[in-house]
Amino acid sequence: MRSIFSIALIFSTLRLATPLIWASHGGMFSERSGVINIALEGIMLAGAFTAASVTFYAGNPWIGLVAGIAAGVAISSIHAVACIRFNANQVVSGMAINILMIGLPAFLGGSLFASTGSTPQIPKENLIPWTPVFLAFLLVPATWYVLYRTPFGLRLRAVGEKPEAADAAGVSVKLMRYSAVLISGALAGVGGAYLSIGQSSLFTRNMTSGRGFISLAALIFGKWRPVQTMLACLLFGFTEAVSIQLQGVRLPSGEDIPNQFIQIIPYVLTIIVLAGFIGQSRAPRAIGLPYQKER
Amino acid sequence: MRFRSLATLALLCLLVSVLLTPACTTQSRERDDKSKLHVGIVFDIGGKDDRSFNAAAWQGVKRAEKDFPIVLRDVEPGNPTSIEPAMRAFAERGYNLVIGVGFAQSPIMERVAKDYPNVNFAIIDGVIDLPNVASLVFMEHQGSYLVGMIAARTSKTGVLGFIGGMDIPLIHRFAVGYTEGAKAVNPNIQVIQNYVGVTDAAWNNPGKGKELALAQISKGADIIFTAAGNSGLGAFDAVEQYGKQNGRAQRFVIGVDSNQNGVKPGFVLTSMVKRVDNVVYQLVQELVAGRFTGGFHVYGLKEDGVGYAMDQFNQELISPDTLKQVEEAKQKIINGEIQVTDAMKK
Repeated sequence: MRSIFSIALIFSTLRLATPLIWASHGGMFSERSGVINIALEGIMLAGAFTAASVTFYAGNPWIGLVAGIAAGVAISSIHAVACIRFNANQVVSGMAINILMIGLPAFLGGSLFASTGSTPQIPKENLIPWTPVFLAFLLVPATWYVLYRTPFGLRLRAVGEKPEAADAAGVSVKLMRYSAVLISGALAGVGGAYLSIGQSSLFTRNMTSGRGFISLAALIFGKWRPVQTMLACLLFGFTEAVSIQLQGVRLPSGEDIPNQFIQIIPYVLTIIVLAGFIGQSRAPRAIGLPYQKER
Repeated sequence: MRFRSLATLALLCLLVSVLLTPACTTQSRERDDKSKLHVGIVFDIGGKDDRSFNAAAWQGVKRAEKDFPIVLRDVEPGNPTSIEPAMRAFAERGYNLVIGVGFAQSPIMERVAKDYPNVNFAIIDGVIDLPNVASLVFMEHQGSYLVGMIAARTSKTGVLGFIGGMDIPLIHRFAVGYTEGAKAVNPNIQVIQNYVGVTDAAWNNPGKGKELALAQISKGADIIFTAAGNSGLGAFDAVEQYGKQNGRAQRFVIGVDSNQNGVKPGFVLTSMVKRVDNVVYQLVQELVAGRFTGGFHVYGLKEDGVGYAMDQFNQELISPDTLKQVEEAKQKIINGEIQVTDAMKK
């Protein structure tokens, strides 16, 4: 058992939590301004695919990272226009983006690499395995500062809680929401890029495998607050890292722990923590409600 | 309000059209040459460029398309629910042969094949007891036994790793054969077995594949056999991270299904190849010659259906002694002197 709790486990936790932290903090901006962002999964996929493709062609991961951010912003702008300009149902729009991003990389991959949705492998020298991890932990205080200590953050939160009041005070609800959704696209784009050019070395179809939704869970779990959300991401990362380390470990009695049991650990732990320790999680009051000026 | 409902409608349309895309990739048959035989292939969730199992099937049909006068169409289902419509679309248009790649398609193909008794079907890695279905099964445990021997003889730490994709009986077959081969060389060897997941997302999660490999390496494993589709590629990255000393890699990975020796040259000890390509090619050949038969087709070492890959990338990595011993074991398996346990037969 000694071998389970080691330095390797800590690093594994940090690596597994990194994409979740980026995406959940992205979601925080959007949701704090009142726009549900269920599209995180799709935005991450866009970031991951673009980052891997551009890194492959440019031979430089930093250009790839910037391209991944740009792709995240571009995809989230669809969500922003649908939800803010056209007052569409935010859940439907987000879901449409998620499904779109299952198909779009496959389609683009066909013309770029004669493949169906995966990119060629990127050489080790062109990967950025640790920088996004490091930056993720700078992102948390930065997000906190922006949300709670700047006029922009105050307006953003006001728009998400009581848009009428913010509007009356002269804040442009639409402008605030547009910028919030685009920021969320940029951050989730980094999370996706980390998956394809940091943690692994290529894009494969649907490679986020639910991380966008887990980020969303972490966001709710963390009550839409930066530090708590980071802790939630670390918890999810930790449970997954533990489940990885536990596989193949012998019990003192000499038997292996069954894999099926190990695979359920992250989910069981989540339920226990959610039910037992968190208490009520309150969403921003105006979340999901399109804002229309009274005429 | 009008704007809102319009936008919702537009988004719904987008959603529906995206959902329907996989079914639309089969182009209309009207444009095709009707004098030719039609072959349709439906891939597994991994997709045809997984550099592994699906890729092998794709190579096989592509080669057949070049050599024989056939019309070839393929579908890559985006999710498990679009497999059945794709298969039915082929059957409905009167395709002569519909190939399903992967065990997950067998229950679906069983339903479809019953409805179209005049269409020939073939399932790879699955078993369907219908006269118009050819069930193509590989004896992965035999090939895995041989790579297990190579791994055990090459390992310096006495610890091996195995990373499976989905935790299913078919993948246990790889694991059991590998472990038996390793123990035949060194009874004290330890084999750490890990699985990426329990859903089909497990084939497309290289990030987790890498984490599993790193965890195994931290427990002392120096050779890792992957049977995990795209997720396995993460293990390739993990061993590369440990670099080379005096020109020789410190940790190795063993590829699966296709010959993956060239994916990370020098870090891939060998690959447990499953000649899905040859088998699919033969299948089309038989169809063209009018000799297509349903029922079981089993491919083991004897039929050259499984094996280990040797080429310019790994000939320096494996000692001649090891190769000699492995070749002897191969003969013994073919003669029946060595019986490798088949995890799917219990």
